[in-house]
Amino acid sequence: MSENQHKIQRNLWENPWSYVESFFIGFGLIVTGFFLEVFVTTSNTFTLKYPFNVYFLAAYVLLLIVLYKWFSTTQIIRWLTKVPASISSIALVTLLVMVMGIIPQIPSENNIITNLGLNHITSNWAFLLIIFQFLTCLGLITIKRVSQLKWSNFGFILNHLGLFLALIAGILGTGDLQRLSINVYEGKPSWIATDAQKNEIELPFAFYLKDFLIDEYNPKLALVDNKSGSIAHNNGKNLYLVEKGETYYFHNFEVKINEFFPNSGRIGDRYEKVNEIGSPPSAYISVKNTKTDSIQSAWISSGSFRYPYESFKISDEYSIVMTIPEVKKFSSDIDILTKEGDRISTVLEVNKPFKFKGWKIYQLSYDDKMGKWSNLSVLELVRDPWLPLIYIGIFMMIAGAFYMFWVGNKITKN
Amino acid sequence: MTWIDFPLYSSISIALWIMGLLFLVISYKKQTVLKFANLLLVMGWAVLIFFVIKLWLELDRPPMRTLGETRLWYATFLPLIGFLTYIRWKYKWFLAYSIAMAAMFLVINYLNPETYSKTLMPALQSPWFIPHVLVYLFSYAVLAASSIVAIKGLYDSYHQNFKMETLKLADNLVYIGFSFLTLGLLFGALWAKEAWGHYWTWDPKEVWAFLTWMGYLIYIHYRHFHAHKTKQALTILAMAFVVLLVCWFGVNYLPVANTSVHTYTQ
Repeated sequence: MSENQHKIQRNLWENPWSYVESFFIGFGLIVTGFFLEVFVTTSNTFTLKYPFNVYFLAAYVLLLIVLYKWFSTTQIIRWLTKVPASISSIALVTLLVMVMGIIPQIPSENNIITNLGLNHITSNWAFLLIIFQFLTCLGLITIKRVSQLKWSNFGFILNHLGLFLALIAGILGTGDLQRLSINVYEGKPSWIATDAQKNEIELPFAFYLKDFLIDEYNPKLALVDNKSGSIAHNNGKNLYLVEKGETYYFHNFEVKINEFFPNSGRIGDRYEKVNEIGSPPSAYISVKNTKTDSIQSAWISSGSFRYPYESFKISDEYSIVMTIPEVKKFSSDIDILTKEGDRISTVLEVNKPFKFKGWKIYQLSYDDKMGKWSNLSVLELVRDPWLPLIYIGIFMMIAGAFYMFWVGNKITKN
Repeated sequence: MTWIDFPLYSSISIALWIMGLLFLVISYKKQTVLKFANLLLVMGWAVLIFFVIKLWLELDRPPMRTLGETRLWYATFLPLIGFLTYIRWKYKWFLAYSIAMAAMFLVINYLNPETYSKTLMPALQSPWFIPHVLVYLFSYAVLAASSIVAIKGLYDSYHQNFKMETLKLADNLVYIGFSFLTLGLLFGALWAKEAWGHYWTWDPKEVWAFLTWMGYLIYIHYRHFHAHKTKQALTILAMAFVVLLVCWFGVNYLPVANTSVHTYTQ
């Protein structure tokens, strides 16, 4: 249909607007945005907080409905509900996001980047204006399809309305999103959290850390070049886990692990199992040089914050070292104490947050210098009241993706 | 049943699959052997599923912690996606493609036995890990196929013998690939909410995944409304794949890379 229209010679800005006009308007918005970036120097980013974001959303959706219902014959609304406007806004959003994908979004010394705000694209006026046009197109065509009340629009509505909801709730929700972190020490109640700007915030409940636990993998063995100090085996990947009785091969060395202690201490010329704070893992290894058939044995240890590491020099070129064990899992056994006197026990773990009074509580980190002897656990509290709306959008899009897989496109069907 | 039995079971699966694939090739000439092909492929898959179930029972935990175990899941689910796509869209070569990829993962596991016990950082230990990576893997494979089709189309139109069928095939592949791309992106968002507290943080890999998604979005919209402008459509498709490649391999080399949570180098 639109094919025929394109073949007719027409002038710029003549009805209906097509790609040239669309990109013209789009670039106009971007240039306007950059002007605002350069000349309107507010340090605050543009965010709306409750209840203004709710008012904005209601007014915006209402405006879109009114525009579609009573003004759909005007030039601009007709343009916004047609493909050139959609494609140009998708392309220009892509362009600005691509800038974000190339220029690191951190403070920059480059004047052009700083003045145009290319290092904070998500709050850049150009991006906000283009995203606004994108959402307006998306909103209008969604209203158009919804108002047609046809089953054949089902997949279209899932995908488009889903994206609209997820995007608008994500953008408007930033103002209400709270992310706090709190340091919790074993045996002490804590209720003062800090936000990203390091402001202290008093929580309506307290955390009491009963126990902080770390599970570690066994340490790994590495062959290290004595001169460069870098790992000289398998390109530094796929190192072998230290396990009692295992034999591993590095070049012409056969390394046998005779003994392994996860917690140990040096006693005289050997290591023994001990269980005290900062006791590092150790292993007794025998190394056979298969070229010369000579065998040497020694204790090695990865060391800890209290004890030095010990490596084993097996030739002029190489040493065997034990790496610091990697963390398998860390978790906090906590009680949440409320003002009403309730005590809720739970275990927090990475990937297993806990929901409490509108907050989601995450295991964030710990004192990594102390490692498994850390008695500090850092928790994160996130409150995002717009999340349900975003999830509705996301699940609509997931359903839409299944629909798309199954039904395919109209071109193939015809 | 442990990893010690893996070579046995994986070789049975692979042997059945190879026979199945041979029959699948023959079925292009002789339609009647198609059911043998399908039967053999399903049997190979059943053997693999049997191994996974037994391994799971033996380990007493879901086998999805190590790299080797993850590959085992890829090998298990790729045929499922292949069968589903085949049932729906009847592309035989597609079934062959997913089976071959699954077999490849089994072979990688066989050749790298030490990765069975590879460590996995806590954030990656999630039920979302396998679906997230798997749908991306499949999506990239399908979209790669679509761009091969696009290159063929551009080559054909250069030689003036372009056929509309080529573009229709590309369309279908993009729709299949794009739906999986959407799933991968959204599964990632849902996982990120559980692991890092936010569903979208503009991490460089996320940015490029989003760009890839937008690239194919442009193609889909363009095709939908300009069904006869074939050359432009093919060009958009080829460009979208370039963005995909940047997302897949290129991000690590961009100046933004050191802030990404998706670069897992030691």
